[in-house]
Amino acid sequence: MSTTQTPPALHWALAGSVLLMIAAGGLFWYASNMAAAKRQHNHDEIVVNIHPHSCEPNALTVPAGRASFRIVNRSERAVEWEILDGVLVVEERENIAPGLSQVINANLQPGDYAITCGLLSNPRGTLHVTPTAASDAAAKAKPSMVAFVGPLSEFRVYLAVQSSALIKAATALNQAIASGDLAQAQALYLPARAAYQRLAPAAQRLAELDNQINARADYFEKREQDPAFVGFHRLEYALFQQRNLDDVTPIAQRLLADVTTLKQQLLAQSLPPEQLVGIVVRNLNSLAEVRAGSGEEERYSHSDLNGFAANAQTARKVVDLLRPMLSKSSADVLANVDQAISDFDNQLNAFKSADGYVSYDAVTAAQRQQIAAKAKALATAMDGIDPALGLSGL
Amino acid sequence: MKKTPLALLLTLGLLNTPLSAFAATAPLDLVGPVSDYKIYVTEKLDELASHTQQFTDAVKKGDLATAQKLYAPTRVYYESIEPIAELFSDLDASIDSRVDDHEKGVKAEDFTGFHRLEYSLFAEKSTKGLDALADGLNKDVQDLQSRVAGLTFPPEKVVGGAAALLEEVAATKISGEEDRYSHTDLYDFQGNIDGAKKIVDLFRPQIEQQDKAFVAKVDKNFATVDKILAKYKTADGGFETYDKVKDNDRKALVGPVNTLAEDLSMMRGKLGLN
Repeated sequence: MSTTQTPPALHWALAGSVLLMIAAGGLFWYASNMAAAKRQHNHDEIVVNIHPHSCEPNALTVPAGRASFRIVNRSERAVEWEILDGVLVVEERENIAPGLSQVINANLQPGDYAITCGLLSNPRGTLHVTPTAASDAAAKAKPSMVAFVGPLSEFRVYLAVQSSALIKAATALNQAIASGDLAQAQALYLPARAAYQRLAPAAQRLAELDNQINARADYFEKREQDPAFVGFHRLEYALFQQRNLDDVTPIAQRLLADVTTLKQQLLAQSLPPEQLVGIVVRNLNSLAEVRAGSGEEERYSHSDLNGFAANAQTARKVVDLLRPMLSKSSADVLANVDQAISDFDNQLNAFKSADGYVSYDAVTAAQRQQIAAKAKALATAMDGIDPALGLSGL
Repeated sequence: MKKTPLALLLTLGLLNTPLSAFAATAPLDLVGPVSDYKIYVTEKLDELASHTQQFTDAVKKGDLATAQKLYAPTRVYYESIEPIAELFSDLDASIDSRVDDHEKGVKAEDFTGFHRLEYSLFAEKSTKGLDALADGLNKDVQDLQSRVAGLTFPPEKVVGGAAALLEEVAATKISGEEDRYSHTDLYDFQGNIDGAKKIVDLFRPQIEQQDKAFVAKVDKNFATVDKILAKYKTADGGFETYDKVKDNDRKALVGPVNTLAEDLSMMRGKLGLN
């Protein structure tokens, strides 16, 4: 018996392991094919090849919703691929290395987009996104809370910017008063008031602080003579009625401190979507029902129109922030609001003078009534936003 | 059945305690950080505009040494806010494109912006004939300022910006491709990292509510990257050129940068913005 002869058991083992290897190889081949098939089909990837001077395909049509694009770089350089809405990038993938591919996932709204491919001088492609039953339903559906994060953030930025402008204007007013320059102080009262009036819809939620800044003499027992009467209108009284700056330096300093606190408090408060519209409607209603007719707000300086125009600016800001949502689901409401804003603006613009607005004591009772009517119409039109976007139901 | 106030309180308490740890972020809680991010971007853009003015003034005056010195500290503002800046594809191309993006290379008419100036200042060592490019860059930066002012920041782009910045680092900074003529890549590197860290810091309370360990891990990797970058800081507050970065440090940066890019890409999901 030769010692080199292999025992039969080993034969079987060898044959078995070969079989196993074949089977494993087969399984691996099968599995990798399945995986490739999955990549290609299960995720519905759209393959885009980037050649040195063009993309292939260069015109894409996909249904609205989530889409995956596999970008294969068949050029010699690292490239980027972008989906553009006008000049704005919707999605992009940068630095795709030559010979490699990357996947871009996008959630697309119906519409026409441009696509860039590779070199900046290469022709742009087109991406046509067709509406689906789901996208039609989504367009008509009321927006979710997440959709308001952008507009509410932008409004908070607006409050921050306008508060800083108010602090700056109050600082300048303070300096003019401290240096006893009456003419300069009178001139600086107006921009400070305009800055405050842009914030007024939001500031009026902070009852106590707002009273320190904006209360009229009527709210105090001894009216103008009451030591508790402070803020803008106490300064207005000194600047335009008494025309005397002797006692008001501490009042101007306190106003500056109060508007500085106002900025902090405005940025600290949370504003739910229904309040974003609600505060503007309230502000316009007070204009229509009280301030326009009486001219009580700026009774010493008669600079009421300066404030009304600032109120209108904030109304416009809020409408602009909600415009994308309104134009999608409630175009009729938006058209009403836009018409009312432009009517109100035109009404106020009719009273423009070389250096701002005419004095309110020159505005007749009939004209005041027209201003009130336009403000009321805008408040009413904006009242339609809440039900249209479902703000109260969020 | 009408519940007694006590029963209601108990139910609320019971429901609230275990759930709060997993509760999704309320969308309104994102308003503060998203708006603070816009304020941050606006401030950086103001800096970019005034520094670009000084940089291009030096170019136009023919002061090569000053122009070279101001190039990197000016760009860094763009790099820190890139997630927003690059949303405007046309301006991103005219301000920050590389020579590779242009078929005709450095002489391409549409090759403009920082890297075109970088080429002249550092490769050709010249300020000749750059007036139009200098003016164009100033104009584009001002245009960017006014467009960003009018942009409602999409929350998912803000939160996704942290990962985008780290992907930018991984793809363009570690290789040293971005500032190939000046080798001032470390300025941009730090700008990208600072911009990403700012986003994490702004959303820190909301993410910590979801996942404390995640934030700790991210902080640790940021610290590692910062520590390596700090080795190359110079006395004037700037950075050494990228060719001075040792091989082992380049390698040591890859791990934490890639992990950060991966981790930060989960922020959108954690904040309910996918």
